[in-house]
Amino acid sequence: MEKHVAEKVRIEQRFPSWRELLKPTTEFKPGYYHYSFRISDAKYLELPFVREWNPLDKDWKLPPNWKEIFLTKMKEYLEKFRSFKLFMDICVRCGACADKCHYYIGTGDPKNMPVARAELIRSVYRRYFTPAGKLGKIAGARDLTEDVIKELYYYAYQCSLCRRCSVFCPYGIDTAEVTWIVRMLLKEIGVVHRFTLISIASSARTGNHLGLLPGGIAGALQSVVEDIYNLTGIEIEVPINKKGAEILFVAPSADFFATPHWYVCMGYLMLFHEIGLDYTWSTYASEGGNFGTFISYELAQKLNAKIYQEAERLGVKWILGGECGHMWRDKHQYLATMHEPPKTLEDPVSPITGTYFENAASTKMVHIAEFVADLIAHKKLKLDPRRNDKWIVTLHDGCNYARAMGLLEEPRYVIKNVCRFFYEMPEHTIREKSYCCGSGGGLLTEEVMDLRMRGGMPRAMALREVHRKYGVNYLCTLCAIDKAAFPHLLEYWRLPVAVGGMMELVGNALIMKGEKERTTDLRGEPLIRRD
Amino acid sequence: MIGIIFGVIIPYIAFAIFVVGVVYKFIYWAKSAVPLKIPTTSGQQKSLKFIKRTIYDRFDSPYTKWETAVRMILEIFAFRSLLKNTRYYLDRLSQRDARWLWLFAILFHYCLLLVLIRHTKFFLEPVPSFVEMISELEAFKGVFIPSVYVSGVTIIAALFLLWFRRIFLSRERCISLPSDHFALLLLLAIVISGNVMRYFIKVDISAVKGLLLSLMAFNIPQALEFANSIEPMFYIHFALGSFLLAYFPFSKLMHAGGIFFSPTRNMPNNNRAERHVNPWNPPYKGITWQEYYEAYKDQLDEIAESGYKVKPEVL
Repeated sequence: MEKHVAEKVRIEQRFPSWRELLKPTTEFKPGYYHYSFRISDAKYLELPFVREWNPLDKDWKLPPNWKEIFLTKMKEYLEKFRSFKLFMDICVRCGACADKCHYYIGTGDPKNMPVARAELIRSVYRRYFTPAGKLGKIAGARDLTEDVIKELYYYAYQCSLCRRCSVFCPYGIDTAEVTWIVRMLLKEIGVVHRFTLISIASSARTGNHLGLLPGGIAGALQSVVEDIYNLTGIEIEVPINKKGAEILFVAPSADFFATPHWYVCMGYLMLFHEIGLDYTWSTYASEGGNFGTFISYELAQKLNAKIYQEAERLGVKWILGGECGHMWRDKHQYLATMHEPPKTLEDPVSPITGTYFENAASTKMVHIAEFVADLIAHKKLKLDPRRNDKWIVTLHDGCNYARAMGLLEEPRYVIKNVCRFFYEMPEHTIREKSYCCGSGGGLLTEEVMDLRMRGGMPRAMALREVHRKYGVNYLCTLCAIDKAAFPHLLEYWRLPVAVGGMMELVGNALIMKGEKERTTDLRGEPLIRRD
Repeated sequence: MIGIIFGVIIPYIAFAIFVVGVVYKFIYWAKSAVPLKIPTTSGQQKSLKFIKRTIYDRFDSPYTKWETAVRMILEIFAFRSLLKNTRYYLDRLSQRDARWLWLFAILFHYCLLLVLIRHTKFFLEPVPSFVEMISELEAFKGVFIPSVYVSGVTIIAALFLLWFRRIFLSRERCISLPSDHFALLLLLAIVISGNVMRYFIKVDISAVKGLLLSLMAFNIPQALEFANSIEPMFYIHFALGSFLLAYFPFSKLMHAGGIFFSPTRNMPNNNRAERHVNPWNPPYKGITWQEYYEAYKDQLDEIAESGYKVKPEVL
């Protein structure tokens, strides 16, 4: 980390003329550009034009007819996605979105304004798909050249698909949609970045992004229950690949290994044991997240299929999903469209409270926050919020479940019931206006660290505000990428705040039958009481 | 000569381009598939009974089609998303109101609406009473002589304000294309020429109405007769207006129609309750359980042998 910490972070704002802005940027700054894919991943996923190439090279070894392919595919996607076609046509460049992008705020790079990011491809659209485009530059149109491709690659992977700009756009233009389609187009000519492709290939093969094999998952879960045993003295049995269970539980695979995800995983297992839930984990569908959604429709579909297939094979009634951000964009907005829900699934009804989750009637997939909130509301859990007294908590709303799902109050309801000190960050940085952690959308990779630290600046500053004002020392988030990204970000911005998930707090507060007196929290740190 | 070109030929052509262009554009958009239901949720989803949704949540994160309709209506008539505008700030004290754009935009669009409503008196005989009423109300009839229409003057101010944003604010200047300036300047030219005609260089209004009514009735000889009797000043306004009509379908001004198609606004957030079907959904390609099982048989069998469960190793 140290080498990335600059003495002073200067945000240099530039305002070039519109002519200047039309010229492709081909100078790739270290810390901002992504490495190219690994051959093995690209081959496994059957991507076109697999070859060695380096974004810093002059020659990207594009296929000879790359331009024709790009434009043909662009025409195809214009027909396939009304969003893309419409968003190419109706932007008025009012600038409402400009300072809503955390990457723009953090980098000052004019091409990181959502409107400018969309203009990168819009200028190509004008040139080849509108009559005015024949006029050229004066109409804001430009020829598709290799330099333009490079620029598209550079900036399409400087967007975390967080959709914050879309909230403020008077026409609802969704940059995530535009960026997504640009990434799809680039994929067609063999231009994809490295990071997500590694995970996508792993997930396609082993069922999860980390590439854990069945034994590894079982081993990880075993370690989790051993930790729980040490903490509570309770021996928990974890069902795995169990046929005939009532519920299939799917969490992001980071929960098996990473920190602080691990404590969330402890929280799940403690809760499920305590309420006696008839559920099962699966090794085949061992990933809630879906990095495919960062690259293309087909890859997204390839990864999320396993959940329904496994639900059908195991004969479960419905599916419960863990704490993850883009997973819920995928499960809420994509899953049931990409695959028809299996007929064997039944209506999602909580076996403990009898609550029918009407809002998940078709997809049959319920969010853990909805499930737990319902348990708490029906007083099915014995909770001691004082066990979380060490933490003065604030909640970061994950971009995807806030702006693509509307899951805002459920986590707050749960948190307020399991801890006693909860403060909100400034109003324009939470709920649907939440700032991204800076590392979503496939950007959670070392090579773009500078971009990530700058992109996370608005969130870090909002956190600093409540840290100074209320002494907040715990940033709660229900997103696995957040949990991986924030520790770095907060170190960079020098904020002594712990990062964790909702289920960790639930696990701390949960009074289990037959547990021994707890002396530490899930992290193994001594309990502190404030009175 | 001016009469026949600018009074008859160009308006017909412009109007035809406008109608065909707009219809074409609507069909062009409607032809594209909507593969995914992607509303941008800006409020609490509908989930559990005890999770309260405020009235704002109901139309910022609509669940039913009625709530979605309200969201669209608010978007169209109140520019709700623009009204949410914030600047980057840290606390409430340093918050500066950033809703100027909303104010200018609302000013412009509502003035334009009023101006267009007032203009129907040139196209309709008899003039509907509400048009008369609106005209009288907004002119504060009797205060000035001749009456000064508030909307006609305000729209100039609003257009200048919108244009100044693009000239004087560095960020907005940077993203403004020539076509953005052009659209504003064209509108400015139209409203200024209209005002000049009303207050300074007067034209024969009854002849203008005669021209428009005969154009609408396709009575070309009569239209020509009227056209030749009108002062040139009118044709500046009329030609610019015609040009705007013809330019409309091919420009960003189509945002007026496009908003209705916007998939992030016009779809309800009931994704998990009602399935959305993608017309071109490709079939799944990937490994099946069987293939997975064969690849990791040993490990999976081991899980099966332990009774499909994992237990802690207690020492």
